[in-house]
Amino acid sequence: MPPKIETRFGRIRVERRVGYGRLYSISMTLLSLALAFLVVALILTSLGLDPIKAFQVIFGVFTKPSLLLESIKQSIPICLAALGLSIAFKMNFWNIGAEGQIYMGMIASTGIVLLHEYYGFFYEWMIMPLMFLTSFLLGGAWCLIPGALKARLGVNEILPTLMLNYVAILIVDFLVHGPWRDPKGYGFPLSIPFPEYAKLNIVLGDPAYTGLLLSILGAAAAFFLLEYTRPGFEIKVVGQSPAVARYAGIHVRSTILLGSFLAGGLAGIGGLSIVSGIIGRLRPGASPGYGYTAIIVAALAGLNPWVIVAVSIFFGGLITAGGALQMSMGIPKAAAQMIQAVIFLMILVGEFIKRYKVTIERPRVGEE
Amino acid sequence: MEKLVELRGIVKRFPGVVANDRVDFELRRGEVHALLGENGAGKTTLMNILYGLYKPDEGEIYVRGRRVELKSPKDAISLGIGMVHQNFRLVESHTVLENIILGLGEDKLRIDFEKHRRRIMELAERYGWRIDPMARIWQLSAGEKQQVELLKILYRGAEILILDEPTSVLTVQETRRLFEALRRMAREGKGIIFITHKLNEVMEVSDRVTVMRKGRVVITKETRETTKAELANYMIGRPIVFGQKKVSAKLGSIVLKVIDLKVLGDRGYPAINGVSLEVRRGEILGIAGVSGNGQVELAEAIAGLRRPLAGRILLNGVDVTGMDAGKMIELGVAYIPPEGNKLGIVPGFRVVDNLFLKAYRYPPYSNNLLLNWGKMLEKAQELIEEFGIVTPSALSRTSSLSGGNIQRLILARELSGIVGGIPRLIVAAYPTKGLDIGATEFVHDLLLRYKEMGSGIIFISEDLEELLLLSDRIAVISGGRIRGVLAREEADAEKIGLLMSEAVIQAG
Repeated sequence: MPPKIETRFGRIRVERRVGYGRLYSISMTLLSLALAFLVVALILTSLGLDPIKAFQVIFGVFTKPSLLLESIKQSIPICLAALGLSIAFKMNFWNIGAEGQIYMGMIASTGIVLLHEYYGFFYEWMIMPLMFLTSFLLGGAWCLIPGALKARLGVNEILPTLMLNYVAILIVDFLVHGPWRDPKGYGFPLSIPFPEYAKLNIVLGDPAYTGLLLSILGAAAAFFLLEYTRPGFEIKVVGQSPAVARYAGIHVRSTILLGSFLAGGLAGIGGLSIVSGIIGRLRPGASPGYGYTAIIVAALAGLNPWVIVAVSIFFGGLITAGGALQMSMGIPKAAAQMIQAVIFLMILVGEFIKRYKVTIERPRVGEE
Repeated sequence: MEKLVELRGIVKRFPGVVANDRVDFELRRGEVHALLGENGAGKTTLMNILYGLYKPDEGEIYVRGRRVELKSPKDAISLGIGMVHQNFRLVESHTVLENIILGLGEDKLRIDFEKHRRRIMELAERYGWRIDPMARIWQLSAGEKQQVELLKILYRGAEILILDEPTSVLTVQETRRLFEALRRMAREGKGIIFITHKLNEVMEVSDRVTVMRKGRVVITKETRETTKAELANYMIGRPIVFGQKKVSAKLGSIVLKVIDLKVLGDRGYPAINGVSLEVRRGEILGIAGVSGNGQVELAEAIAGLRRPLAGRILLNGVDVTGMDAGKMIELGVAYIPPEGNKLGIVPGFRVVDNLFLKAYRYPPYSNNLLLNWGKMLEKAQELIEEFGIVTPSALSRTSSLSGGNIQRLILARELSGIVGGIPRLIVAAYPTKGLDIGATEFVHDLLLRYKEMGSGIIFISEDLEELLLLSDRIAVISGGRIRGVLAREEADAEKIGLLMSEAVIQAG
């Protein structure tokens, strides 16, 4: 039975669409984007700003090479976290904690750099590989906590993953205010800037290119895992039905542990890409919610790893556009975020309407 | 005689199928009218239209001679139409009384529970039901729950009653009691539509019968002017043979030995309470009983899905007690779960995924890390042909398959030996439940074929007819204990029913 809502205007029915064509899908997306821009135009006009000019700035993000590179750079942590989420969500593991796992990845990366800089541990060439390894491990471990709680005690993962975000954010705060503060940083809560060997610019000397390669490799890995490996198959079965998984002889608990670890690990690498690629040091609030944006991205991309790469770049573009609007038109930060939010929202509504049919049956006069 | 309901030229289309194709149907006052047909014949669709759940694309509905348009069950209820669905729609943690008056809308602010309780008691007594209005639903047996459902609609003054496969959850005795109540309701001038695919029940309880096939009405007849064979012919479009299917396989060594097994159920109480049994190669051991008496827990314990509390399970003489499901699969135990479309497959997966739901991790389909889809697809193609699974391709979504085809898929996976050769032991829990005659025959033949090949088979069913048809021995289970084991020669419906009910008396 489709859900029905009775209102004084009639009965609202929401039904799942059985299937829809590609043309329909694309035109709905375009329509919702058009609607989004219409609403944005209204907001801008009410602020006394020229919407046309603002749109030029927004579209400029995807046409000007420098801004496009910036968008790609912004998309890397979102993309890696979303790839992790695609694994978690396939497993029906509602990880809201990519943000915290990103922070743990940043801690691990920064920790390796500091160990080398302060204490002379490791050779320089080992730093990058170690950063990758430890940020994956620490991000994974962070997600393994709620994973283990679920696997062992049946604790629902949503609250633990969410709350661990704040713990991770506060650990970073503690570190940069305390032991990891840059001694030459005039007391600002910042780590020392990363030296060149710890920066993510292996490809063409630019973090955007390196990150794009990383995103694509990550997508390939996630895709391969889910489609062509035994653990990937088991993750999907557990996600569809733990009862059926047990029946099939799958070890549900160890699958949950593995899946949550991999999901957190990818987000951890996302954290690495922030400190090593975008900012170049650790500071409080280093991730302005990439881990939350990743949830939207994963959902919009239908958990398809390849689509996640593209959608991430689009969302990276929106973030960049927000910054560009502030700079070139003097739009307040809040208004820029509002514009981003309106576009998010319209796309989400568009997706909903794509997948569900909403009809309103009006009671005719004289009946009932 | 007055026509309570008349449906004329009803057409209902769903994407890709015509569920009802110009269907005419009438229900007279004072009759029990059986609506007979295989699964997918369109019976339930037709009744959902009469109950206001679906809107017909074409056609007219008359209730007591007046043309009506039914927009929702609310409209149907106000016209005195009531429906008992196949799966009960009761609030488990509420009392009988609360369930019956739920949504009644008669009382405004204060509910006069005492008044309702009295009236409900009177109503129940009229049909010879002893039911405590203050009991909670989860405490009731399936038969009692059904009585609550009936009380619910009778209490609303319904005189057009639709029952969708009402006997599928009942014991022989409960069924008999239900039929008595239905006859009494008919005598009072109500009209009863009885949806079923069981021929015996049509002959036993109905005054008239309408047979549907592939969305159309084949015929409507007085029940006493027809025979089971004739109805079967109308229903499936070809004659079928009733009677025993003899396959004489030599009984071999003992495959499975269960000794004094105790197993906990989901509620934390022992669901299996000291069961001992054995199955030999080439033997079908039937397990008869009303569902919910420990059958599923027994099957799950044997399949490694439920850890026994006490007792031992020996497979070919080797102690396998407490081994997990993966291990049991490797040891050649095939398990056909109850409600296969829920527990036996992942509906959103492709056909090939579900065919290899167990074998995917074993060579040659996997080297323990990577999957070899090429090999799997190749084998899937073979299985689809061998087991006659009707699907557009091995890559189609399983949820688009019919129930019978899903069961074929499960059988193909469990029996074809893609994991460890021909299964040594097959545990089949209600493998034909909900299937139509054609698909049921297929399942029966398959089980007999594996019996011939030397598998030991535990065959759990509620349907005495098929138990008597296939089993070499029949164990009667009730309250988590085996109440008796009958050889096929000495078993009959009466004896089995007696064993079931004796135990109930003992337990109660």
